[in-house]
Amino acid sequence: MTGLLKKILIIVVLLFTTLALYLNFILMPEYQGLKTGVSNYIIQSALRDTGSLNLITAVLYDYRAFDSLGESTVIFGAVSGIVLILSRKMLPVSSKGLSFIVKRTLGIITPFIGLFGLYVISHGHLSPGGGFQGGVILAAISIIFSIVYGSAFDYRRYSPQKKTILETGGALTFLTIGLAGLFFEGAFLHNLNFLTAEPGTLLSAGSIPYINIGVGFKVGAGLAIIFYSMIQKTFEEDY
Amino acid sequence: MFNNLIFIILFMLGLYTLIMKKNLIKMVIGLNLMEAAVFLWVIAFSDTGGRISIHKLAETNFNFNDPVPQALTLTGIVIGASTAALLLTLIIELNKFTGTIDRDQIEGLND
Amino acid sequence: MMNWMNIELILLILMPILTAVMLCFSSESNHKINITITLTSISLELYFITALLVSNFAAVKNASFFLQYTIGRAESPFVINFALDNLSLFFSLIVTAAVFLIVIFSVKYVEDRANQFFALFFLVLAAIQGSILTADLFTLYLFIEAITIFTTPLIAFKKNETTTRAALQYLFYGLIGGVFFFISIILIYFELGTLRMAEVAAAFVNIEPGMQLTIIIFFLLALLIKLGIFPIHFWLPRAHSACPAPISALLSGVLLKVYLYIFMRIFWTVISFTILSRFQLHHFILELALFSSLVGHLFALQSDNLKKMLAYSSIGHIGMILAVLLLNTKAAFYGAILHIIAHLLMKSALFLSTGYLLQTTLSYQISDLKGVGHKNRSVFVAFIIVCLATIGMPPLFGFVSKWYVLLAFLESQHYFGAFVVGAGSLIALIYYLRYISQAYLTFKGSETVSIWQENLSFKEFFSSFNAMKAVIYLFTFLIIFFGFSFKFFSMPIDTAIFELLNPQKYIDLVLGG
Repeated sequence: MTGLLKKILIIVVLLFTTLALYLNFILMPEYQGLKTGVSNYIIQSALRDTGSLNLITAVLYDYRAFDSLGESTVIFGAVSGIVLILSRKMLPVSSKGLSFIVKRTLGIITPFIGLFGLYVISHGHLSPGGGFQGGVILAAISIIFSIVYGSAFDYRRYSPQKKTILETGGALTFLTIGLAGLFFEGAFLHNLNFLTAEPGTLLSAGSIPYINIGVGFKVGAGLAIIFYSMIQKTFEEDY
Repeated sequence: MFNNLIFIILFMLGLYTLIMKKNLIKMVIGLNLMEAAVFLWVIAFSDTGGRISIHKLAETNFNFNDPVPQALTLTGIVIGASTAALLLTLIIELNKFTGTIDRDQIEGLND
Repeated sequence: MMNWMNIELILLILMPILTAVMLCFSSESNHKINITITLTSISLELYFITALLVSNFAAVKNASFFLQYTIGRAESPFVINFALDNLSLFFSLIVTAAVFLIVIFSVKYVEDRANQFFALFFLVLAAIQGSILTADLFTLYLFIEAITIFTTPLIAFKKNETTTRAALQYLFYGLIGGVFFFISIILIYFELGTLRMAEVAAAFVNIEPGMQLTIIIFFLLALLIKLGIFPIHFWLPRAHSACPAPISALLSGVLLKVYLYIFMRIFWTVISFTILSRFQLHHFILELALFSSLVGHLFALQSDNLKKMLAYSSIGHIGMILAVLLLNTKAAFYGAILHIIAHLLMKSALFLSTGYLLQTTLSYQISDLKGVGHKNRSVFVAFIIVCLATIGMPPLFGFVSKWYVLLAFLESQHYFGAFVVGAGSLIALIYYLRYISQAYLTFKGSETVSIWQENLSFKEFFSSFNAMKAVIYLFTFLIIFFGFSFKFFSMPIDTAIFELLNPQKYIDLVLGG
């Protein structure tokens, strides 16, 4: 009875909050960002400044590159925290994997998934995508290996040590490019203008493609490590 | 206005899930629902009817949507993903010690 | 061409990140190298911030100190910049000094998995420095989330049911706070089209009042959750008591002060206090914080666990500081910032000495404390001195700061506040004495050696000397020393108050330079 009362009370409170918030949000004017804000500046001059066709990438890795650095630090910290919590002392006890058909099919498809991931990473400044999105696709390969072929296969193919090296390497790439910006252009994380080529080509947009590659491998390896740490415990218990 | 309504309803549903559900995984889902509501609203609200913010070569059409909220949302999504992973990790670890993921049966989580 | 000006601001954040990456990369077995990296990095960090203070001492003294570093394209209007004024320099300095001492303590204290521990510790340090230095709202959000994410594994460091549970709860509450923070930042962006604190501060008045209220309420919700103010404080004692002693000191001593700094930065610089007081919200929060202070002290009284008691006492002190800040007078700021330093020193010292004294006991329960006072007499004497300072005994530092807080309340004729300060001290006296007397209970049949006999033999004193003890003694010495010479802080505090009361200076300097 008290449970029901509590439930009703919470629902009523939430409904009132909804109403209050709604009445307040009605006050919001139509979206002003383009007229008053600085985003108009970005739309007008981002292509000229950075050479990146994708304006979101220009914001992420040029104008607000420090946010992206902080963001990859957050992933780095989360991965080391997860590894700390689920410590990996034992070798994983592998499942047998799925049936022959699935194994064969994914054996054919997996290279294309990897290719697609690399495409998304390397074309981050030309088309939708970028380091984070492509990195997640790369992490999917490791997850597919663990599910379809058993986690021992994934362990042998890409050991956690390799993944850690990839992850740290990605983070260091980002930091190095930031410091290169300091040395060559005079400000930390400044885009490297001497690398800029004609917009629309693969190696244009200064240092953005290189940052994308670093972030992509970092995110991919990081997510793969997270997945690996999580399944390892469950298999140990199953056994 | 429609955007705001959807945002507030989704946000409150997430909050309701977070408060009322006893299953820890469902609580994580509730938290992610709250985050997703905010991100959806940011994207929907900043849509001024322009194109996606990617130039096409040899075209000087500057009728874009604001790229900044989209970039901020991307950052937010990545943070949300890493926190969700951390939450699930802690739940796995807690399950190892207590054998349950029910909030009521784990003493001291119920307030 | 090369802009080497103010590069220290970036290095303060990058150094810890780089250290963390290096520590993650190195294996656990070469313990000595890890320790060397750790100590070098934290010393460099302290050196940078001290060098900033020393080289700009004249500017600091006449409150015109201001440094700024712009990341990336300085010519475009939409960039992230870091700003260091008197207030943030002061906080950065005390935080770095406290973290320096905590790291020296934990080098001895944490033996296994040390490199992972220090990697996360340095990431937390980087996030703290970032959130103090940043002049951009979204970067601030990022760093606040980063602090929550990086501290969670450290809370669960000991890996048992209690710690995991505490970490889970801490993360849930922290993330809800983060979502609220994100909403209000996005609302500000939608209204004003900018994220730089100075521009927001200059234009915040133009937002219509209803929206201002919503933004302020979301900010308040986020920060009150992070600060552990009364209705949402359940997570704080559990989280602060579950982790290893250095992390408790970090969370309770340092992190809560960082959140207080963010509170000041947002509600005095970004959103000016007049707007907050226009909605009469400051009265409400003041009473809430005072009530929270009282509740914290009362819960501390009934707690049977030493570390939980200390954490509840933190709630009490933080509530008091928040309340006195919201009085918005010069005397109130003086008392609040003085008590921030005092509480930082005292809580760090208490948690560290608790960790040192109770290394061998089964738990932190009061029943396990029996005889602890006889094992490590000199450390326990230091513990008692710090306890007395926390209660507010003259002539220790805790008394001075509480006295100024009390004076501020009386000056504003806020008698409930004055009552809470007094009552808090009285309740604190009871609960600290309870633990101290318990620690001096002897087991039956144990030999009785006079405390003077042991303490005065210097040979014995120095033979058992180590880094952990040294840190505890240093904290105790500082608490006694500043009790007499608290005037030492009057210059930095006055300049910090100047910064709080004149947000226009910050706005002009950021936008003009």
